[in-house]
Amino acid sequence: MIPRYQRILFWVLAAAILVMALVLLRGCEQAREKLTRQRNETPLAAPVDAPGGTVHLAMASDADGSITLVDREVALPVEASTRARTLLARLIAEYSYKNSAHPLESGPAIDDVFLLDLPLHTSTAAGSNASGQDSSAALPAATVEPHQPGGQLAVVNLHGSFADHHPSGVEPETLTIQSIVGTLYANFPRVQQVRFLVDGHPRETLNGHADLTRTYPVANPSTQTIQTAQEDR
Amino acid sequence: MARNLVVLDPAHGGPDLGATLGDRVFEKDVTLAFAARLRTALTAAGFTVVLTRDADPADPAPSDDRAEIANRAHATACVVLHATATGSGVHIYTSTLTPPLEDTASEDSAFIPTPWDSAQAAYVRQSRRLAANLSSALAGSSLPAIAGQAPLRPLDNLTCPAVAIELAPLQSAGTPVTDAAYQLRVAGALTGALRTWRDQALSAQGAAQ
Repeated sequence: MIPRYQRILFWVLAAAILVMALVLLRGCEQAREKLTRQRNETPLAAPVDAPGGTVHLAMASDADGSITLVDREVALPVEASTRARTLLARLIAEYSYKNSAHPLESGPAIDDVFLLDLPLHTSTAAGSNASGQDSSAALPAATVEPHQPGGQLAVVNLHGSFADHHPSGVEPETLTIQSIVGTLYANFPRVQQVRFLVDGHPRETLNGHADLTRTYPVANPSTQTIQTAQEDR
Repeated sequence: MARNLVVLDPAHGGPDLGATLGDRVFEKDVTLAFAARLRTALTAAGFTVVLTRDADPADPAPSDDRAEIANRAHATACVVLHATATGSGVHIYTSTLTPPLEDTASEDSAFIPTPWDSAQAAYVRQSRRLAANLSSALAGSSLPAIAGQAPLRPLDNLTCPAVAIELAPLQSAGTPVTDAAYQLRVAGALTGALRTWRDQALSAQGAAQ
């Protein structure tokens, strides 16, 4: 005859096991949903109806500090901002591949890209700083390129986790910025200037070095590479 | 301008650790150690050296204050020191500012007000010549060097020929940036280049008189 207290203990333990199993299953479901959401934020797979085409990626190399344009066949969305975001997500994803010349951690990097027509007005929210002033007005005169009619400002909103985990140093941070600016230059002829935000807010540096408070004029990455090579001699 | 004066700015400090270069090795400590070695080499070569920090203060001076220290010194060269675990050799950077059409960085124009964020513009040409000298000296010492331009504070705020020197590991030899012998080699090469830079400035000054 099994004592009563042992029967009670058995059923209590059985109930506890059942509850723990249910909690575990729910936790697995939540983790899967979280991973699925992250995948959706960085759509590496292009939409089915997107037209394919050749894009130019300005790829950085830590070994010689150079930027080189390479061609890739990628299907991209038609809408310009989404197209820019997907293109830059593809660029950063290339750096997470094994044997990358400019290794970066994998994960979501580009939150959004906004393409704003120049000149900016003070009412343009995305181009304004915290005090509500035109962001270009707060910039050093020498760093602001005179814009041509029909030009655009690209505002690249980076994920905070990407900035926080980016390799720290003048060279790696500068190369990442040059790579993004060069890729926009090569694929979006109307883009003349680029600004960076992190999680929707201005941030002083990418990860302690490269200045993110300024507006970057777009530049031909191949020209920058030649300049560097000449200075090396 | 004080032809014999060099300003060294070991970047980071205090709670700003900079890059992590190894197990409990932070960039702020490496830049400070390298600045001490470079100061010794420069002093031995007859330079007067001003450091923007010579310890690890709990409340370090912000970027603008360090630039102000350098600008008040009227140095013949300002060198901002960094270190990284990425790349190889020594990286030399100058400001990304566009130089003016005419070289206005002369004694006569020293008191013309200039915007703080583009103060370096008048000195960009000199900074690039200095970077070329440093690059050649490092190459002469068989140290790999990469020269370029970087959006880095406080380079744009300095009113002197200014470069940023970033130490990276010697990948081919597996030498880390913390290696004292490696730092001494770099310090020696930089000192030689700065001595040449000073002599060129003095001879140009003598020719002008």
